[in-house]
Amino acid sequence: MMIMKVKEWCMYCGECAGVCPRSLIEVRENSLKFDKDNCKECAVCIQVCPVQALAKEEVE
Amino acid sequence: MIIETDVLVIGAGPAGSLTAKHAALNGADVIIIDKKSEIGTPKRCAEGVSKEGLKKLKIEPSTRWVTKELSGVRLIAPNGTSVWLNDEKVKLPEAGYILERKVFDKHMAMDAARAGAQIMIKTIANGLRRDGDSLIVTAESMGEELEIKAKIVIGADGPESRVGRWVGLKTAQKPKNMESCAQFEMVNVKMEDPDAIEFHFGSTAPGGYAWIFPKGDDIANVGLGILTTETDKSAYEHLLDFVKNNPATQNAQPVEFNIGGDPVGGMHKELTADNFMLVGDSASQVNPLTGGGIISAMEAGVYAGKVAAKAIKEGDYSAKNLSEYQERCEENIGVKFERDLKVKDYLQSLSDEELNSIADAFQDIELDRINPAELIKQLIKVSPKALLKLGKLF
Ligand SMILES: Cc1cc2nc3c(=O)[nH]c(=O)nc-3n(C[C@H](O)[C@H](O)[C@H](O)COP(=O)(O)OP(=O)(O)OC[C@H]3O[C@@H](n4cnc5c(N)ncnc54)[C@H](O)[C@@H]3O)c2cc1C
Ligand code: SF4
Ligand code: SF4
Repeated sequence: MMIMKVKEWCMYCGECAGVCPRSLIEVRENSLKFDKDNCKECAVCIQVCPVQALAKEEVE
Repeated sequence: MIIETDVLVIGAGPAGSLTAKHAALNGADVIIIDKKSEIGTPKRCAEGVSKEGLKKLKIEPSTRWVTKELSGVRLIAPNGTSVWLNDEKVKLPEAGYILERKVFDKHMAMDAARAGAQIMIKTIANGLRRDGDSLIVTAESMGEELEIKAKIVIGADGPESRVGRWVGLKTAQKPKNMESCAQFEMVNVKMEDPDAIEFHFGSTAPGGYAWIFPKGDDIANVGLGILTTETDKSAYEHLLDFVKNNPATQNAQPVEFNIGGDPVGGMHKELTADNFMLVGDSASQVNPLTGGGIISAMEAGVYAGKVAAKAIKEGDYSAKNLSEYQERCEENIGVKFERDLKVKDYLQSLSDEELNSIADAFQDIELDRINPAELIKQLIKVSPKALLKLGKLF
């Protein structure tokens, strides 16, 4: 299964949430929450992040 | 717990605070919430505003939040050729300020509170539902679940712009319309003229520009915005290159690192729904050419606050009755942005060589005023390509 990994250097700026076409990212002051069940893996959130803090990862 | 109010503003940036202030001043009961534990922090901004903009909004500059008064502009081509626009060359009656946003945003929120608005910090909105002629926003504050029932909800949630989507407005940005920005606030910056703001164009910042905005002494915001559709590198990587190669930052040291998204695709088409309005970055009310959004966010906030209070008095919160807000934004903000969007597209089409030759041509030009429109008029004189693409607009 594919999951979205948030790296520890994420700064919670919210740019990824602004481009997610399905509005699946909730940016809190010090954490990110993904509604991963509805993610279409379009990857635009990964693309716009100013510090490359998002990555798709394969997990068991 | 359920709380009731006339107007709920979500987000206490410049847009939300001005909305809350003007809604409260005009008689509405107002609550404004922000997820941050400190309004204005962290900053996601280069902090430049025009004096004219503040004046129009009747906001008196305060030494608490103005760090620097500017007296010039320096535009820099990829090969380093500079176009100087300063007191020696042109009269600059209406230059700008560099703010301390962390302090400024707090003060705007304080003004809203003084006008009567109730502020709830560390409170995040996470959903919304309709309930008769009201909206109920679900929120969370320090582990407590809340419901806030409001006759009118105002989305002022910045570039994330999720609140508008909860009422069906189309606010998701495409990556080609969202600048990805990174900035250091630095010390030991050696600018040629520490009273002038610098804009660096070309491939240093594909799809955007790099900037050095002085904050007094040897301190400056050094940053850039890029379009991720135009480069494979991240904004951060481009910033490291810029700092490494720029003469002004050879010994500079960072004391702060800021990142964020800046929506530059022009104002959203729909800003209202029943019981709902959208202001600031969440409405994409950012100048597409400069990326500046503080003044337009606050201008829209004034309109939204007044229209909300009027609707409360009339007891009519329908999209139709709120459409006055949309009209005022289109007239005063949207129209300018349409033109600037075309200029941005043109600038982005230029190669480094073309930018260099334009900077050369600009060396002999006499200007008596500077603002983006005046610069474009001059650009049309020196560049046939600009004449072709922009001639009709200016
Ligand atoms: C790097 C960078 C440099 C910039 N430089 C300049 C510049 O020099 N000059 C200029 O004029 N503009 C600049 N801008 C743009 C400017 O910062 C914005 O236009 C401005 O902040 C918009 O104000 P706002 O109130 O709409 O949004 P914001 O200032 O982003 O405020 C939104 C607020 O909403 C809160 N919020 C979001 N979601 C929720 C939620 N669900 N619940 C509760 N609270 C929520 C956030 O915490 C935030 O406080 C820059 C932007 C960037 C990224
Ligand atoms: S864009 Fe990057 S840094 Fe910003 S909140 Fe998203 S993952 Fe974090
Ligand atoms: S991959 Fe696409 S759908 Fe999934 S969270 Fe990112 S932007 Fe949203």
